[in-house]
Amino acid sequence: MVEDQNAADLALVRRIKRGDEEAFREMVDRYHARVYSLSYGVLRNAEDAEEATQDSFLTLHRKIESFDESKRFFSWFYRVALNQAYSRARRRKPVVTVPIDDYVPRLGSDGHNASPEFSAWVDGVEDEAIARDLAERAEGFMAELPESYRDVIWMVDVEEMKPSDVAETLDISIPALKSRLHRARLHVRQRLTEVTTLPSATEQRAAP
Amino acid sequence: MNSHDDVTCRRLILEYLVEYEDGTMASEDRVRLEQHFACCPPCLVFLKSYRATGRTLKMLKPREIPKNLADAVIRFVRARCDKK
Repeated sequence: MVEDQNAADLALVRRIKRGDEEAFREMVDRYHARVYSLSYGVLRNAEDAEEATQDSFLTLHRKIESFDESKRFFSWFYRVALNQAYSRARRRKPVVTVPIDDYVPRLGSDGHNASPEFSAWVDGVEDEAIARDLAERAEGFMAELPESYRDVIWMVDVEEMKPSDVAETLDISIPALKSRLHRARLHVRQRLTEVTTLPSATEQRAAP
Repeated sequence: MNSHDDVTCRRLILEYLVEYEDGTMASEDRVRLEQHFACCPPCLVFLKSYRATGRTLKMLKPREIPKNLADAVIRFVRARCDKK
């Protein structure tokens, strides 16, 4: 199925290279939602994401000649989209990120999970309204991550792209992808736990 | 996973959880992890919260795509390319 998708992409790419405007229109219809969503993951602002999407398609139009047809189109174009979004993000303001190790769970020196964390929010996920609130917070916590981690968790867990496609787009190995994905999830999980842990729960835990 | 070492919480969380969750872990290792979860309530809580994190992130999709975005893209590209 992925190969069918790539064959269809390549057919459009060849028509666009010949100057077929209708093919360009079809490419926009095919990819604008995904490119917008990827851009939003980086920029977290609808207006910026819309402009980044426009820039990405302009780059596609201008640089399609240099696209190597032995490669898969989507990975080339998603890289274009991520580059556009990040260059826009850098122009906007410096991003504050946290060192990834800060949010790996605290464990005892023997490697055991010494203090069970109060993860009451886990039950809240079953409730639509609470889950939406948590999702909005999680979006902010993803933004704290260094780019290489944020891209992975956004594409795999939010966009639900196939991990192998994400690895190809980012040009990293599958083990590297899994490692980044896992650490990014640990970060978001830890932050959700911290932000939803009530002081009373902490006191209860500290009591003998 | 080596057979001689216990599954410590640290190793479980840092090294094994991702493959346990994506289904690529060998079945004998899965059994060892499940035995650990059965006798380690904090790790079981951790597993639940790890899964809940994934479910929470999925709620961010589908994101609303601005109306007429495709048309705006076409107009934008045409305007830039006509200038050349």
